[in-house]
Amino acid sequence: MPKKIPRHSSSRMPNSIFYEKVIPALLIGMGIVTVGLILFAAGVLLGLVHF
Amino acid sequence: MSINLILPFLSSVIMLAFTIFVFQRFLARRAPHFLFWGLGLAMFGAGSFAEAYLAITWNPWVFFAWYLFGAVLNAAWIGHGTAYLMFRKKWVHVITVVLVLGSLWATMLMLQAMRNLNASSFTTAKPISEQYGTKRVEVGDAVPTGVTVQTVEYRGEQVQVIPGILPLGTPVRLTTPFFNIYGLLSLVGGAIWSAFLFWRKRVLPNRVIGNVLIAAGALLIGFASTLTRLGYGQFLYLGELLSAIMMFAGFLMAAKPRPVEEAIPAVQMAAGD
Repeated sequence: MPKKIPRHSSSRMPNSIFYEKVIPALLIGMGIVTVGLILFAAGVLLGLVHF
Repeated sequence: MSINLILPFLSSVIMLAFTIFVFQRFLARRAPHFLFWGLGLAMFGAGSFAEAYLAITWNPWVFFAWYLFGAVLNAAWIGHGTAYLMFRKKWVHVITVVLVLGSLWATMLMLQAMRNLNASSFTTAKPISEQYGTKRVEVGDAVPTGVTVQTVEYRGEQVQVIPGILPLGTPVRLTTPFFNIYGLLSLVGGAIWSAFLFWRKRVLPNRVIGNVLIAAGALLIGFASTLTRLGYGQFLYLGELLSAIMMFAGFLMAAKPRPVEEAIPAVQMAAGD
């Protein structure tokens, strides 16, 4: 059975603006950029983007 | 020494250290994701080293290594390691077969392209990323000063081109989007998904940050490569160096061992496993 995780353990995520706001915004932003890059690569494949 | 030599050389040194670190883990754990990460990182490093070499002098086989490993294959192989880590399903083995066969096919196409390389257009004055491709010039396109436009026959018609090392319509160039889409999806998508899982469960912040760094590093090189395709190759080497630093830092951070007194369910393990 797993042991109880201490309250101030390094395994627990601290409550801070960084983890509450910045990380989710980064993840969403990177997801959008990823989709954009994939669409670009697909555009190259389909001949819509010339290089 | 030029910046075109220093930046790729630094990238290759970082990738060498990164590759050794990952292969050591593979030898200790025998997990397939370490093998694919190690092979992909070795390809990344080989591509960077080839860039540094091509900043000094021309060699067709170094160009072969630069294009095949640095531009075509490395992202897909690194990303496939993430696919093994994330899914651990039998269908990943099927993708392994497709990846290996696809890589052999790309290698064959690259070997065919070697016969038609236009080495006369090579210069050490420009990064290889700015001179490898032959660009078709359409009516109304701006041609940079000092660039010679040539007329060549392409698919039965006379077209104007800015000559590059790989002639217009070289088939191996069509393979890069396939590999890079898979690499981007698996590597960046996998890192973002891992970071999200840890974030949602409110555990292991080092793995959240580590995966964010891995995703950002991989995106950076993807972005720099895209800019290169659009004609802004001057950002590629800096992008590669920053990407190598961010991914290595992210991997080290994600790989930090958990404190022994804590037990986190195995399902939460992802990048850095």
